[in-house]
Amino acid sequence: MALFTRAPKAEPILGQNRVVAAILGLLTWIIGLLFFFPLFWLVLNGFKEESVANASPTLVFDPTTDRFCDVTATSKWVSWFTELTNLCQPSEVTGGGLLTFSEAFSNSFWIVLISTVLVMILAVPAAYALAIRPMRKWRDVLFFFISTKFLPIVGIIMPVWIIARDLNLLGTRTVLVILYTAMNLPLAVWMLRSFFAEVPKELIEAAQIDGCSLMGQLRQVILPIVAPGLAATALLCVIFAWNEFFFAIQLNPTGASTMPVWVNAQQNFQGQFLAELSAASVLATFPVVIAGWVAQKRMIRGLAMGAIK
Amino acid sequence: MAEVRYEAASRLYPGAEEPAVNKLNLDIADGELLVLVGPSGCGKSTALRMLAGLETVTSGSVHINGVDVTLKPPQDRDIAMVFQNYALYPSMTVAQNMGFALKQAKVPKAEREAQVREAARILDLTEYLDRKPKNLSGGQRQRVAMGRAIVRKPQVFLMDEPLSNLDAKLRVQTRTELVDLQARLGVTTVYVTHDQVEAMTMGDRVAVLKFGELQQVDAPRTLYSAPANKFVAGFIGSPAMNLLDAEDVDGAPGIAGAAIPLEESVLSQLKSQDLDQVAVGVRPEHLTLGTTGIEGEVTVVEELGSESFVHVTVSHRGEPTTLVVRDRGETETGRGDRVKVDFGGPIHVFGSDGLRVEA
Amino acid sequence: MTSATTSSAAAISHEEEVRRLERREGWKRRLPILPALIFTIVVTQIPFLFTLFYSLTEWRLDKPDPRKFIGVDNYASLPGDKFFRDAAWVSVQMTVMAVLFSLIVGTLLAILLDRKFFGQGLIRTLLITPFLVMPVVAGFMWKTQMFNATFGVINWVLNLFGFDSIEFATRFPLASVVVVLVWQWSPFMMLIVLAGLQGQDQSVLEAARVDGATTWGSFRQITLPQLRPFLELGTLLGAIYLIQVYDHIEVIVGGQPGAKNLPFYIAQRSIGGGNRFGLASSYSIIVVIASIIIANIGLRVLSNLLEDDS
Ligand SMILES: Nc1ncnc2c1ncn2[C@@H]1O[C@H](COP(=O)(O)OP(=O)(O)OP(=O)(O)O)[C@@H](O)[C@H]1O
Ligand SMILES: [Mg+2]
Repeated sequence: MALFTRAPKAEPILGQNRVVAAILGLLTWIIGLLFFFPLFWLVLNGFKEESVANASPTLVFDPTTDRFCDVTATSKWVSWFTELTNLCQPSEVTGGGLLTFSEAFSNSFWIVLISTVLVMILAVPAAYALAIRPMRKWRDVLFFFISTKFLPIVGIIMPVWIIARDLNLLGTRTVLVILYTAMNLPLAVWMLRSFFAEVPKELIEAAQIDGCSLMGQLRQVILPIVAPGLAATALLCVIFAWNEFFFAIQLNPTGASTMPVWVNAQQNFQGQFLAELSAASVLATFPVVIAGWVAQKRMIRGLAMGAIK
Repeated sequence: MAEVRYEAASRLYPGAEEPAVNKLNLDIADGELLVLVGPSGCGKSTALRMLAGLETVTSGSVHINGVDVTLKPPQDRDIAMVFQNYALYPSMTVAQNMGFALKQAKVPKAEREAQVREAARILDLTEYLDRKPKNLSGGQRQRVAMGRAIVRKPQVFLMDEPLSNLDAKLRVQTRTELVDLQARLGVTTVYVTHDQVEAMTMGDRVAVLKFGELQQVDAPRTLYSAPANKFVAGFIGSPAMNLLDAEDVDGAPGIAGAAIPLEESVLSQLKSQDLDQVAVGVRPEHLTLGTTGIEGEVTVVEELGSESFVHVTVSHRGEPTTLVVRDRGETETGRGDRVKVDFGGPIHVFGSDGLRVEA
Repeated sequence: MTSATTSSAAAISHEEEVRRLERREGWKRRLPILPALIFTIVVTQIPFLFTLFYSLTEWRLDKPDPRKFIGVDNYASLPGDKFFRDAAWVSVQMTVMAVLFSLIVGTLLAILLDRKFFGQGLIRTLLITPFLVMPVVAGFMWKTQMFNATFGVINWVLNLFGFDSIEFATRFPLASVVVVLVWQWSPFMMLIVLAGLQGQDQSVLEAARVDGATTWGSFRQITLPQLRPFLELGTLLGAIYLIQVYDHIEVIVGGQPGAKNLPFYIAQRSIGGGNRFGLASSYSIIVVIASIIIANIGLRVLSNLLEDDS
């Protein structure tokens, strides 16, 4: 009888056969490793002697951390607190006009940190207002924010350059802080709104009835729920700002510039020091790679579901 | 302890054409459990939220304990609310959830803990005090939500369908516990539900709403035996009352060709009305199966064990119409049997305006 | 009589009070948005108006001549401008190829990942990593360690099979850039499609299987339609970012011809030493118009998603 035949079990898109599954699993492993290989190679090269790196590719070599030491040692590490106070002045060009690794790293650090903090300060209230106490036409406002993301940077780069020049901001960290804040703000509003929208309305009403002030509601009720989303959003802003190159090279190619500018300058001027450059690239990349690994799941949900939630 | 009063209170949502709650007048006595009931979307939640201060009262006023609270924010109204989804703070433990309002009111820690423990004892939650809500069962969460309300010792409890997320058996059990608790605490309570059985079994009085308008407020028994209009008659009672447009039988209202026994005073009130517009209603338990009366054919028998509901199709106003008859196992009938249905109890008559015609 | 007047006066004051409260409530709702809104307008929208204005002028920073208003002359010169045409054509090819290939690769990766196997989490993490890598580093790494004729791994493999080394970045500049773009953007597409696959309604798939649908049939008729909004979202976001690619071009091909897209060329002709701010602005406006067309289609998709929700 039809009533007693078993319904087939749910299965993934591709076959349910065990052999097929094993082969597909293996295939996924191979592709995954292939995708990762260039990075693996980069890290490997960072541990080689220059003579080994600048030769036919090989997996067999004596690993050394000298290159990493070279990169960090040749540069003068300025106290980061002094850096903070210098933030608004056009920095003087040191080392014969070349940006050093430590300078670039601390510039990047401060620019990314301050712009991300600014983004969150501006985006959290906006996202809260759009999600939790929406006014009429909130959709239009959200669309406006996200649509500014569709304005290509080249659409504004020339006036920004002229204005920065006239305000004496060319070559400063300030100009990058402002632009990175503007660059990440729409995305942050978009993602944060979707995280705030997950807070049940009743929860806030319950807190209101319980006599909780607006700040109290935010701190004690809403924040614990959206905290992971806030962290993921902030990390995404960090990633985008840390990796940004166009604004940096156009508006600030000098001593106050960031890691990408430094990497680019290195490979233009000393392309033959492959191992040292690899070590430097690893150092430049790994902070945000780690950040991305940590936040991967929430980040993508915030991005993709921002539209749906 | 407080009485609650709605005075012509209305709520018009921005952009809506009709008010969600329209000129609601309602007096709720101190310590009473009043149930607001009505079909989905009739404005029950809105009415409750107006009392809570979560919804603006666009005209009219709301009073608690004689004080006009219409413009006061929720925290100044001394009320506690239990939400349908409980709205427990997910990041806090059960104890913190229950003590949250007291903490906001800056009650000293020791006193707060004592009160939380007392509430937990009443609700049998003592062993769960340190758990987070996500590690509780649905029934336990419901009790925590209740606990959060009673810890505060508010003037009024507001409950919006607090049992609707429980399974059927637990719902019935919790229903009686809740009534008992409310009676013991003696706190005025407004309870919203769409389930008329819940309304009837729990309420000291029941207010029936439809399209934002109050239809009737009465004790459950009165609501059942003397519904004020056609809507209430059809809404209250399960299975529903047999409610039909009357048939003209020799100038008097009738069903399926049979005149119905009505008092003279009722008949005289109907004299001036078009009989086509008059409705008559008989509850299933006021119809009997027997050897006299309207003839019809059995189409369905709903067997409940202690009683059964027999659906009999008769010809009424020239069309096949179903009458539901309660049968206490006195007769053995099955589908296709020809039976006779007779009147055995009060009959409700509603005039052309839909209102009850009182004897 | 008197009581009637007082009660109506009270009613009026009540309604005023309600209105006042609602006005205040309205401001409470709008105020938190304003700082972000104003900041965005000042930093992104106003400069754009400047660009629009510049594009109607002849303006060279290297000459002392004042800015001269010349109407649409800059735009009129575009069709005959070989550099512009080349750059625009590179832009189109690069964007279309990069979006298309990364969407295809990303979808295949997502399908492979959407099943249980040993080490699933680890492989997903490895697969998303390219998206996180600084584009400048990605470009440098591929150029010197993959494409390079003497130290490059790809050429080493080619030599192994007896082929001659090729200096990819010079021989095939456009293709080289696209390969790196696809390497970086496939993970992004994969994540979006994965979100769609994991959010799909399992019961529908099961019902289809009970009804005897084949694996391929249920994928094509059920999974694919459910994935559509996610594929569209991926395409939209990918296109918006990839039309603006600059970093990879600067690092991989630098000043060499053959793979200069519009953003690269615009920067070169204005800030990068060309100093032709008026003309370059008109290029910018063309890029903006192209983006607006993409975004318009995209926003319609997004608004459909929002409508479904409410
Ligand atoms: N925020 C709002 N804005 C506009 N209209 C609303 C809003 N909330 C509710 N309504 C409308 O007001 C009417 C009453 O809603 P309400 O929530 O009070 O119904 P209810 O009786 O509680 O229904 P249910 O049993 O489904 O909970 C409905 O027609 C609803 O669509
Ligand atoms: Mg409701």
